Amino acid sequence: MSKNRMEAFSDMSRRQFLKTSATAAGGLLLGFHLPFISGPVRAGTSRVITFVPNAWLRIGSDETVTVIASQAEMGQGVYTGMTMIIADELGADWSRVKVENAPNAPAYRNPRINWQFTGNAERTRSFYLPLRKAGAAAREMLIAAAAKQWSVDPSTCRAYKGVILHSPTGRRMSFGAVVSEAAKLKPPDNPPLKDRKEFLLIGKPLPRLDTPSKTNGSAIFGIDVSVPGMVHAAIQQVPEFGATFAPFGRESAEHQPGVIGVVPLEGAVAVVAESYWLARRALDNLGLSVEPGPNKSLSTAQIVEAHRQAMGGERAVKVTQIGDAKALIAKATEKIEAVYESPFQAHATMEPMNCVAHVTADRCEVWAPTQGQELAQIVVASITKLTPEKIRINRTFLGGGFGRRLLADFVAQAVLISKAVGRPVKLIWSREEDMQHDFYRPTVLNRLAAAVNDKGFPMALQQRVVSASQLHHVAPQAVKDGLDPICLEGAAEIPYPLPNLFVDFTLMQIPVPTSVWRSTGYGPNVFALESFIDELARRARRDPYEYRKVLLAGNKRALRVLDLVADKSGWNHATDGNRFRGMAFAHCYGTFIGQVVEISVSSNREIKVHRVVVALDCGQAIHPDGIRAQMESGVTWGLTAGVKSEIILENGKVAQNNFHHFEVLRIPEMPRVETHIVESHEAPGGMGEVGAVPLIPALVNAVFAATGRRLRSLPLHRHGFSLV
Amino acid sequence: MISLIVNKKKYEVDVSPDTPLLWVIRENLGLTGTKYGCGMAQCGACTVHINGEAVRSCVAPVSRAAGQEVTTIEGLSPDLSHPLQRAWIAEDVPQCGYCQSGQIMAAAVLLREKPRPTDEDIDRAMAGNLCRCGTYPRIRKAIHRAARMMAKGGVK
Repeated sequence: MSKNRMEAFSDMSRRQFLKTSATAAGGLLLGFHLPFISGPVRAGTSRVITFVPNAWLRIGSDETVTVIASQAEMGQGVYTGMTMIIADELGADWSRVKVENAPNAPAYRNPRINWQFTGNAERTRSFYLPLRKAGAAAREMLIAAAAKQWSVDPSTCRAYKGVILHSPTGRRMSFGAVVSEAAKLKPPDNPPLKDRKEFLLIGKPLPRLDTPSKTNGSAIFGIDVSVPGMVHAAIQQVPEFGATFAPFGRESAEHQPGVIGVVPLEGAVAVVAESYWLARRALDNLGLSVEPGPNKSLSTAQIVEAHRQAMGGERAVKVTQIGDAKALIAKATEKIEAVYESPFQAHATMEPMNCVAHVTADRCEVWAPTQGQELAQIVVASITKLTPEKIRINRTFLGGGFGRRLLADFVAQAVLISKAVGRPVKLIWSREEDMQHDFYRPTVLNRLAAAVNDKGFPMALQQRVVSASQLHHVAPQAVKDGLDPICLEGAAEIPYPLPNLFVDFTLMQIPVPTSVWRSTGYGPNVFALESFIDELARRARRDPYEYRKVLLAGNKRALRVLDLVADKSGWNHATDGNRFRGMAFAHCYGTFIGQVVEISVSSNREIKVHRVVVALDCGQAIHPDGIRAQMESGVTWGLTAGVKSEIILENGKVAQNNFHHFEVLRIPEMPRVETHIVESHEAPGGMGEVGAVPLIPALVNAVFAATGRRLRSLPLHRHGFSLV
Repeated sequence: MISLIVNKKKYEVDVSPDTPLLWVIRENLGLTGTKYGCGMAQCGACTVHINGEAVRSCVAPVSRAAGQEVTTIEGLSPDLSHPLQRAWIAEDVPQCGYCQSGQIMAAAVLLREKPRPTDEDIDRAMAGNLCRCGTYPRIRKAIHRAARMMAKGGVK
């Protein structure tokens, strides 16, 4: 990918982003204010009338309740979790509930951030109350309509499993029977919410709604979409960052059977054909070669060296200052310091990047497995010059997102190719393209230093974080004054209330495309902090659990989680001689989480992870089984990143191009995961990214316990360790 | 023209014989349950059966399947009734779901060869199927569950 293309993309999104608030307010697609009836729509042989009380719900006279899911389903369980929230408040019959993907529209924006996207473990935190209000409003309208028909006081009625009940007389009316009347009413501004004792769905172990279609091949991902007249495109992007392709001849490709055209793009070449394989083969046969550019000698080693130099430099920006950590540490008789390093990582979603786009003179329709519908719309508008209501971004299931699909680079490509050939086009990136043209989690260096008191506890902590931006392509306006808020997660604020804390940050500019990656800023920063805390504990000859208990004193929610994980892991009980444990704690994405990893290590540095014990307090748990699934998921993510995978640059190119080079966890390496959820009714915290955060330091701390070796750079594979 | 029998149905496809079976299944036959993940038999998302054996269709030329019995995830059952599918639903195995067709097809071959697999049997047989979301613990549970179902109710 050429530097030009990346900059152009970033500039485009920056410009358009700043214009968004103005254009968006003025009537994008679906801005519901009044309830209305849609239809009658023929469903089979019957005429179904649909009541649409708000952007989130459609209630049919045939009793179906359709929830419009604003958030992308990429495995984290939103389809089910969000639907449970609104269906519970509504009083729906769960067996009649269906889910649809939301289109791009302001009604579906994250209310905390005012932007339509899925990521950052936002879903439950940001949408919990709005969803409940939407369900409650619809419920009140249905009740009011029934009460009117019965001439009774609405307060004597309730909604229960798809039926309005009037308890005093035992009268009942199904939702479907009152939709027409309900649509005539005005939605209430402040409908009462259920008491949590009345929850029938929230907190219950309901089966996920998308499971059946994901077990019989019928679930449609972006790569599966087919539209009439569609053709296929394969793409090759310039492997060396900042370089270009040498001139090439198109005729041989264009004459191959089934090939429709060769489409040069900025920093890339696409071939369009009647099938993906014909496109791919013709593309390979073009024999594209690279004209080396300014980064032809660029390597990860150079990049990290530049980070180390910046670490020792003077351009860091202050982030946090409590007390006077620097002075205390400078004059401490013993200054304890360590530098930790996290590598570049690739998203490596199982479904590679892809997009279907159909551009005509007056419309553009896109089908994509996207986390970023609003950014996609802006990018499409910028390319096509179409106004927002002429642009439809259809979202499918995602075969993994992990932050990669927040971006719209692959959408832009599909749109440009469709424009060039005048047909609907499905663009598929090969795995090689996907791995070598990712927007990587950047490498991060953390330098921590502490002054300890005579009991070995830190009185002062100083941290410098050095990293390229994670957020700059996703939310460019948020990266300013030398600070990136995502890069500071888990560093600017730490769960240990120390009297002296100084944190600063050096933002690096590198010619490698970077972006957010599951566990975002917390991942590297908590790896560093929780490793360092462990080092301090060992130095003080204290048990790492007891040490953290002292540091967390007064934080009841944190202590409850820490005590629970210690208890359930048997921390205070000896293992058999061959097993060793490591612990880590984090407060991230609004959730308190502790983990204990139990391992054995062979003399060949083969690590067997026997089990991971998790304790967490995420506030009100919506879908406990979904939480357990996210813990299993986070452990997998953390083990892969902690031990096995990294992205390395050589000669200006990413050296890894498929799963034989970029190794991810396989089933024999997967440990048992035990999850313990603290019962809580606090505001819900995030789950989608949480599980991976403490895993890595807990593992590294366990490796120290097992081997006496303190490893400060990842992945552990660099140090000769492997998983078995 | 190449003759294929896929999920007991006959097809004639006009493709070059070295076209990977995966793309023929997905594009010519419209059966998109079988997925592209890597194109070099590293991830298992493309797993289908040819005459009951597990095959990575991304590296199998369509000529290899000519005249053979090909089964894809869609052919496992018409109604989610295969014990593996029932077990997968009971254990809520999938997260993003993209790898799951390949996982189930690989598991089906395992259960045919080893009706009561141990954890080691499962790990060994399923090591070629990647899951980036981490559904591995549930895959293990579901395979055991399906094995129990099949032991009680007979093998499909």
